[in-house]
Amino acid sequence: MKYDLIVIGGGPAGYLASERAAAKGLNVLLFEKRNLGGVCLNEGCVPSKALLYSAKIYDYTKHSEQYGIKVTESSIDQQVVIKRKNKVVKTLVTGVKAALKHHNVTVVEKTAKIEKKSSEGYVVSADNEKYLANRLLICAGSVPIMPPIPGLHEGYEKGFVLTNREVLDLTEIPENLVIVGGGVIGLEMASYYNSVGSTVTVVEMLDKIGGPIDDEISELLRKEYEKKGVIFNLGSKVTSFTENSVIFEKDGKSYEILADKTLVSIGRRPATKDLGLENIGVETDKRGAIITDSFGRTNVAEVYAAGDINGISMLAHTAYREAEVCVNNMTGKKDIMRYNAIPSVIYTNPEVASVGETEATAKQKNMNFESVKLSMKFSGRYVAENEGGNGICKVLREKDTNRLIGVSLIGNYASELIYGAAMMIETQMTVEDIKELVFPHPTVCEIIREALFAF
Amino acid sequence: MATAVIMPRQGNTVESCVVSKWHKKKGDKVNVGDILFTYETDKATFDEESKVEGVLLETYFEEGDDVPCLLNMCVIGEEGEDISGFTLDGAQESKPESQENKDTKTVEDSKPERKKEPIKANDSESLKISPRAKSLADKTGVDVLYAEPTGPNNRVIERDVQKLAKDGTKVTSAAKSGYVEGASYNATGIGGRVTVDDLSKQVQPEHMLAKTEEGFVEYTEEKLTNIRKVIARTMHSSISEMAQLTMNSTFDATGILNYRAMVKANAERLGLANITINDIVVYAAAKTLLSHKDLNAHFANDVMKRFNTVHMGVAIDTPRGLMVPTVFNADMKSLNDISLQVKELAAKSKSGSISPDLLSGGTFTITNLGNLGVESFTPVINPPQTAILGVCGLTTRVKEVNGQLKAYQAMGLSLTIDHRVVDGAPAARFLQELCSNLENFEMMLAK
Repeated sequence: MKYDLIVIGGGPAGYLASERAAAKGLNVLLFEKRNLGGVCLNEGCVPSKALLYSAKIYDYTKHSEQYGIKVTESSIDQQVVIKRKNKVVKTLVTGVKAALKHHNVTVVEKTAKIEKKSSEGYVVSADNEKYLANRLLICAGSVPIMPPIPGLHEGYEKGFVLTNREVLDLTEIPENLVIVGGGVIGLEMASYYNSVGSTVTVVEMLDKIGGPIDDEISELLRKEYEKKGVIFNLGSKVTSFTENSVIFEKDGKSYEILADKTLVSIGRRPATKDLGLENIGVETDKRGAIITDSFGRTNVAEVYAAGDINGISMLAHTAYREAEVCVNNMTGKKDIMRYNAIPSVIYTNPEVASVGETEATAKQKNMNFESVKLSMKFSGRYVAENEGGNGICKVLREKDTNRLIGVSLIGNYASELIYGAAMMIETQMTVEDIKELVFPHPTVCEIIREALFAF
Repeated sequence: MATAVIMPRQGNTVESCVVSKWHKKKGDKVNVGDILFTYETDKATFDEESKVEGVLLETYFEEGDDVPCLLNMCVIGEEGEDISGFTLDGAQESKPESQENKDTKTVEDSKPERKKEPIKANDSESLKISPRAKSLADKTGVDVLYAEPTGPNNRVIERDVQKLAKDGTKVTSAAKSGYVEGASYNATGIGGRVTVDDLSKQVQPEHMLAKTEEGFVEYTEEKLTNIRKVIARTMHSSISEMAQLTMNSTFDATGILNYRAMVKANAERLGLANITINDIVVYAAAKTLLSHKDLNAHFANDVMKRFNTVHMGVAIDTPRGLMVPTVFNADMKSLNDISLQVKELAAKSKSGSISPDLLSGGTFTITNLGNLGVESFTPVINPPQTAILGVCGLTTRVKEVNGQLKAYQAMGLSLTIDHRVVDGAPAARFLQELCSNLENFEMMLAK
C-alpha cells in the first residue's frame, strides 16, 4: 500500500497537517511514537493551562476580600487538580483521534524512521514494517535541552530534576521548588507552584525574564511575582545539581539553594535524532533543526517539515500554520509562511502577550518607529476587575508607512485579545485604518485603540 | 577677481532657458573657450563658452532647472577666493520683493525647490472619472485612485471600477503608498497581498529576465527636451483644433529642372548660390501667395489676419528635431537671396545657434520630404497659420504631346489648409496657379 503522504509526528503540526491533507483527498499515514497531540496537548500548553486555572481560582479565594467577598477557608487538592488536568488532556486527545479517524487518516502509534528514497517513493519503517509514500512531512517536534551539567542526569533519573513532562504530574506540592530557566515554561510553573504554596526560586542566565518580551513588561512581571514571594536570581548560571540542592554562580560567587524538586526549562531543541534524515539527505543546521524555505519545503524534493523541528518559532500555533502552508503547497496551492505577526503569550497572572516588534527588535532592525506606552488603567474593565493592577500596553508604529508593527501588554485577557493586534499587523493596517475600527466597550482590548490615539 | 557667468538672453522674447547639461563641475579648471553649460529655449539649444580662465567656484542651478535670463549661473575665479558677494540674482535688476532679504539670503536657500512626485496610478487632483464610475466607487467603497483607467483620455469609467471592486487591490493598507500599479511584485502577504517588504523587491517578468542577463536593455527612457515638448504640444493642438484638409497635385518639373541645371552650370561665373529645387518652390510660392491671401494668414480667436507680405517658414530637419526658421519678406526677395538665406538658416538651425527670433513670425510654411522619396503626404499646419505646402519627390510620368506619348519628370505638391477658414476651391486655385508658375518658371521670373 502506497500513501500520498506520510506524516512523522502527531503533535499540532502533524495531526493538523494529516487532517488538512486528508480533507483535500490525500491518502495519509500518521506516525506518533508517544501520545497523539504531542507535547502541546499532553505535557505542555494545554495541561499547564488546566493547572493554572485551578491556581487562579485558588488565588481568587485568597484575594477575594478586596472585592467584598469573604472566604473563610480554602485549600488546594493537588491530586484533584492533576486528575482534572488529565481529564482535560484526555478529552482533547480523544477529540484529535476522532478527527483523524473522521478524515480516514491511518494512525500508527510507533516510532518511525526514514529508510531511503526508492523508485517507488519514500520508504519509512516502524517495528520492521515498511511503509511507502510519495511525500513526507516531518514534524517530530522538540525535546527539552538537558545540558551536561554535573548531577543533572543523575538527578533526572532519581526524579529530583524534572522537565515540563514531570512537573505537570506532581501529585505532591514541593515545599521548595527551584526553576532553572525563566522563560515561558519556567514562569508559568513558577506561577502555579507559587500560588499553591511552594517556595519558588527562579535561576535565569540572562538579566531579564520572559525571553524576548518587552524589557519594561519583563520587569513589571518580575516585580509582580517578587511581591508574591518568588525569588529571582538573574544573571545566574547553574554549575551543578546535588541530591537536594542546586548550585549556581552569580557575579563570580557560588550559591546553593536547597530544593525538593528542580524544574529544568532552559529551552528546547529540534528532535531530529534517529529520524533517518541522513538516509535521504535532509539538510539540518548546527542546532539540528531542519532547514525549510517559506513554503515549508526541505532541500529534498517532496519532503516538507513543520513545527518545532525547524527550530524557527517553536510555538504550537506557529506549527499549525506551518503545517497548513506545507499541505497547501503540496496540493498545488501557493502559500507562504510568515513569521512577522505570530502572537506569543505567557499565562502568568497577570498574563503577558505580544505580537510583532518590541522596541528592542525594531531598533535592531533599524526601523524608523515610535512607541506609545499606556497604563492599562485607561481600560474601564481593567480597572473594574484588577484592584491595584499596574499593567501597561505598548504600541509601536512605523513612521514611514504609518502601520502598526508591534503590540505588547501585561494584564489579564491579554492572551485573548492579542490575536486582534496580530490581525492588524499581519494585514499591515495603518494607524489611520485601525482608528476607524469599533472595539466593544468596556473591554480590556480597548487599550489598543486608546494607545493608537496617542500617536 | 571672480567673475559671474549669467544665463544669456537669446532674443527679445525669451524669458528663461532650461539648463540641459553642465559640462564642468564645481571645482573644475576652466579655460577660455571651454563649454560651461548647454541650455535651451523652446526652440533651440546653445552652448555657453567661458570667457575667462580659472576654477569653477560655484554653480547655482542644476540640470533641468528653468533659469530666468540674466541670473547668475556660476562663478569662476581663483581657488579659495571669497565668493560670498555673489548671489544668483546679483546680475538681475533687483526686484522689490527680493530686495529686503537680499543680504541675508544664502545661495542654498534661494535655489528653486524641486519637488519629487510619488509614482502612483492616479492622483486625486488629476483623476478623471465618469459620473457613473464615481457613483459605483462611492457605493462599493473602492479606492478609485487604484483603478486602471481604460476610458478615453485616461478617464476612469464604470468597468474600471467594477474590475477594481472584483479583483480588489491586492496590496496591504500600509503598502499602498509605495505600490505601483502594473508593476510586478512577489506578493508574500496575507491572501496574496503585496506587503511593505515586497515593495522593495519588485521583480521582472520571467520572459524579460533571460534577455537582461545578457546585458540586453529592454528600453531606454529619456525626458523630452524643451524643443520636443513644444513640437509635441504644437502638433497636437494643430490637429485637434483645426479642420485640416490636404490636397495633392503634380506639375511638370522639366522647366525648373532645366532652369536649375542652367543656373548650376553658370553659378560660379555669375556669383550665384547653389539654387535648389526647394529654393525655386519657396520663391514661386512666395510670389503666388500674395494673390491668395487666405493662405498667407493667421487665424486665431475668430480673427483672420491676412498678411500683405510673405514671411516664409521653411521646415528644417535637425538633430534636435524639426525647426522652422523664417525667411522674412520672401515675396520681395530674389531667388538668389532666398537660396542664400535658406542655406544660412538651415546651417544655424542645425548647429543650434539660431536666434529664437528667427524661429517665429512665419505666415506660411513649406516643408520638403521630396528628397526622401515621398510622393505625397499630409503636412500639419503650424498654428496660427492657415496653410502649409509639402514638397514631394520627382516621379516619371507620361503625357500626350501632339499625339505622341512623352515621358516627363513630375513633382508632387501636398497642400494642407485649415478648412475652417479656407475653402477647398480657393485653395485648389492657389495650388493650380503655383503649379502653372512652376511649370513656366522662366516666365514667372520675367514678371
